[in-house]
Amino acid sequence: MIKLKNVTKLYDSLTAVDDVSFSVTPGEYFALLGPNGAGKTTIVKMLLDFTRPSSGSLSLSGISSLQAECRKSVGYLAENHHIPASLSGWHYLLRCAELLDMDRSEATDHCKRIVELIGMQGRENTKVGTYSKGMVQRFGLGAALMGNPKLLILDEPTSGLDPIGIREIRLLLESLKDQGMTIFLNSHLLSEVEKICDTAAIINRGKLLVKDTISAIVKDGETLEDVFVRLVKG
Amino acid sequence: METSKALSPITRVTKYTLIDEVQQRSFVVMFVTCAICVFLVRGCYQGNYMVNGQSLDAATIVRTLSKATFHVIGAGVMVITALLSMRIFRRDRNEGMQACILSKPIARWQYVTGKILGLWALSVLFMFTLHGIVFFITSINLKVFMPGYLVASILCSINLLFVIIAVLLLSLLMSDIVAFLCLLAVGAIGFVADGIAAASHSQIAQAILQQPGAQPHSDVTWWKAVYFCWPKLLGVQQLASSLIESGSSHELGSIYPFINVLFYCLILGALLFKRFRSEDIV
Repeated sequence: MIKLKNVTKLYDSLTAVDDVSFSVTPGEYFALLGPNGAGKTTIVKMLLDFTRPSSGSLSLSGISSLQAECRKSVGYLAENHHIPASLSGWHYLLRCAELLDMDRSEATDHCKRIVELIGMQGRENTKVGTYSKGMVQRFGLGAALMGNPKLLILDEPTSGLDPIGIREIRLLLESLKDQGMTIFLNSHLLSEVEKICDTAAIINRGKLLVKDTISAIVKDGETLEDVFVRLVKG
Repeated sequence: METSKALSPITRVTKYTLIDEVQQRSFVVMFVTCAICVFLVRGCYQGNYMVNGQSLDAATIVRTLSKATFHVIGAGVMVITALLSMRIFRRDRNEGMQACILSKPIARWQYVTGKILGLWALSVLFMFTLHGIVFFITSINLKVFMPGYLVASILCSINLLFVIIAVLLLSLLMSDIVAFLCLLAVGAIGFVADGIAAASHSQIAQAILQQPGAQPHSDVTWWKAVYFCWPKLLGVQQLASSLIESGSSHELGSIYPFINVLFYCLILGALLFKRFRSEDIV
């Protein structure tokens, strides 16, 4: 589903990602972990062709990430998601549906389902300017789920959500995984990752430290947090 | 089938650009102010004007003032278009729409094309509406019918395309306000150069140049070459305004400003697409 081959990204003299290679198979619930500035968001950006790798290659569903076609069945939620304040949540979702080439009636039906799924019934017609951060994040997740994507790329999806919101999003993601969706999660919440993810990769200073199943990474008597601290602090 | 697939995202981005701009309060204020100003010009058509002691007839007054209004509207809409274009990428970036659109199966060239077309359609409509107001005032109130007026307005739209492409490109390379000022400088330099060129062709200037003491000069100088290659925005306006006078014919040389601006649109357009392809999306 996702393949990175010897990917390096340089920003002038800074190496943000250093010769990283790994792959994510279809149906996998994968977490990319690392401290701030480790290069996680850069990898996400390269997957979506928001920035180009200095060397190496990335592919989604076998298609190079440099081609727009590879994003056909990909949903993306950015960290600190933004929505134009002049739009209502409903109009934002409608726009996202139309950008996926849906006609108006198909888009309307799809948006109704999405609004229910993200639990925002009754609030969809008010302007985004009146929403809380968590509500914006929910609509962002709704936009990412538009068009029933096969791959969901989530950059800190629970950012700004309260504990109940975090739990709801976790349950939603688990149900999506059960439906066979591949999920690429970029998160700091190690306890959440440990609960729900199949596999994880830990990167630090652009270098891949480990990529394996959670059960293989976390040994008996340890938590993911212990492993994370041990690997990152060297 | 492939073409319609490629055009569909462009149409959507064009539509959203138009809707987003029209919803901006600043755009509405600018449009209403311009429309009121054009309506107020109506009073000037009914005055008595004397040139060299001779009173001008009503039709001459209307034609002359309409041409002057045509140029003012053309120049004014160019400035407004530059103002609208300079912040388009920044606003899309800040509001998350750039990331939203480009995370869908939409290529960067489709996004940029949609933005250009949306802004172009909006500014052409803006200018056409203002020119249309003048056209209807002169046709209905003053009974002076100038069919070439609206055609001239459409011809001037090439200037707006140039402004949009140039400002979008410059806004990727420098701050928005500097991009706007650069475009303003290009227009102002072109305007001053055209004025100097026109003055140099006057009889007085010719007489000064042909005085015995005057230094001989070569036919092709560096400033002549720069003047020839400089974006001919005013030239396009003059070419368009010549269409207002019915029955005026054009030589091949007189369409040079149009070709000049079209050439700039193509070159700057290619640079814009190339630059945006390497742009990092935030």
